[in-house]
Amino acid sequence: MRSAIIVVVLAALALLVPLLGDYYIHVFALVLINIILAASLRPSLNCGQLNIGHSAFMCVGAYTSALLAKHYALPFELTLLAGALLATVVGLIVGYPALRLRGVYFAMVTVAFVEVIRLIAAIWVPLTRGNSGLSGIPKPNLLGMTLVSKSSQYYLAVGLTAIALFVLWRLERSRLGLTWRSIGLADNLAQSLGVNIAAHKLLAFAVGCYFAGVAGAFYAHFIRFLFPPEFGFLVATNILVYNFVGGRGHFVGPIVGATFLSLLSEPFRGSAYETIFFSIAMLLTILFLPGGLITLPGKLAELKSWRATAAPTPSPAA
Amino acid sequence: MALLETLGLTRLFGGLAAVNNVDLTVDKGEIVGLIGPNGAGKTTCFNLLTGFLRPTRGSIVFDGESIAGLKPHQIAARGLVRTFQLTTLFQEMTALENVLLGLHLHSGRNAGGVLLSRRGFPPDEIARSREVLDFTGLAAHADQLTRNLPHGHQRVLGIAMALAAQPRLLLLDEPVTGMNLDESGRVMDLVKTIRSRGTTILLVEHNMKAVMGTCERVVVLNFGQKLAEGTPAQVSTSPAVIQAYLGTGATHA
Repeated sequence: MRSAIIVVVLAALALLVPLLGDYYIHVFALVLINIILAASLRPSLNCGQLNIGHSAFMCVGAYTSALLAKHYALPFELTLLAGALLATVVGLIVGYPALRLRGVYFAMVTVAFVEVIRLIAAIWVPLTRGNSGLSGIPKPNLLGMTLVSKSSQYYLAVGLTAIALFVLWRLERSRLGLTWRSIGLADNLAQSLGVNIAAHKLLAFAVGCYFAGVAGAFYAHFIRFLFPPEFGFLVATNILVYNFVGGRGHFVGPIVGATFLSLLSEPFRGSAYETIFFSIAMLLTILFLPGGLITLPGKLAELKSWRATAAPTPSPAA
Repeated sequence: MALLETLGLTRLFGGLAAVNNVDLTVDKGEIVGLIGPNGAGKTTCFNLLTGFLRPTRGSIVFDGESIAGLKPHQIAARGLVRTFQLTTLFQEMTALENVLLGLHLHSGRNAGGVLLSRRGFPPDEIARSREVLDFTGLAAHADQLTRNLPHGHQRVLGIAMALAAQPRLLLLDEPVTGMNLDESGRVMDLVKTIRSRGTTILLVEHNMKAVMGTCERVVVLNFGQKLAEGTPAQVSTSPAVIQAYLGTGATHA
């Protein structure tokens, strides 16, 4: 009940953002994209797979959607779907062999892959215009209407985020989510209970790729300019950092992490200080809040009760 | 009738034969004990039977079908389910969630249903899991985190999860190790009840009192080879077995 109220309040606040003006609309739309990216990494992380290549699938979704809209004038609902599906297909092709690897070996493959996709986007000039960047991407055209204003585009982002979070939440709370978690906790035991761990890891990975594709497609039509370095290794590590700083233990972890870090790093966006900021946030989390920001309220309550019992109680006699 | 039959089962690690030419038969409805000194190859044997290791040579036939070379989840789906030594459990989940995972093979819910239904789990799966917890005496701990359960309860939970998978042959790897007399007695009673409900059992155990009191037949391994086989009484008086456990020179002690 309490969590339902919090969700409603946050949703209402999210809808009020356009009152703050265009700058905040822009910032909060980027926050929403980061929330989708961070939350969609969770299924894979729950399976115990450290994926440091999530931005590659965002990149696939972004370029697919942008090119289809630009050259074929397809509506956003189709280009979004195409972007998300192509990201999923690429995810399945990469994931099928790579998910046989564990731990750091899998992480290394994803790092290599994110660079491969970035280089393809940079080198395939006839299609992507390479490092000069792809411009002239049309504004999202949804159900026959072009979303001209920044605030209408922002509401589109709110809608997409809500759908993505709803689906990911349902999956996490279902048998599927429990099975994914079981693989992350003890894959040998999961196998012995009949879980096909290779198939489940691939499914979790594909779900993540799909929503990274969704985030990418929206990004393309919102920013309306795609530049390969925007999808590099650092973006992928940021998505991972959102999860760890927010907290791995609960579904809201990546949402909290993405919101907190994207807002706080806003003054440094695009500069070298951004990397330093994320590194410091990660280090501080590891040192002082290993469970992430979501464990902060519990820790504070603990501290309070400890203070209360440790404080000398004034005796009534004195 | 043989439910499980291995012929010439062999597993080499480099030049070392961890399991060497073992013929093992388990009949339907039996409780069979697999014993032997440390390093005799008992756990390797379990890993071979459940697909965690591939045999170098030899055949494994379960219920008339060869299962050598299948993956662990495929073998579990055929009704051969194992537990693990020590406490291999999903420590960060509740006891109920652990048993729900045991139902994995018998859950009909597909991904589409997941998105449409309000509850994550159908009520009948919860009910079945609670039944299993009830049967194993863990009902009161259903909603506790597994890592907070006492050792004895954790071991029983391991058995409960395997039971939820509805095995025809249950392989128990050291089910009572680290338990006191009272706890191990209760677990061995549970094992007998499981058998009486129609599940055949093969168990590895170092606690001889538990093995001798529960198993109808005992197979002794030593250095990867089958050393002896028979009723507990036959095996415990066999000079070869006594020599393997206590060493030479102990026979006249």
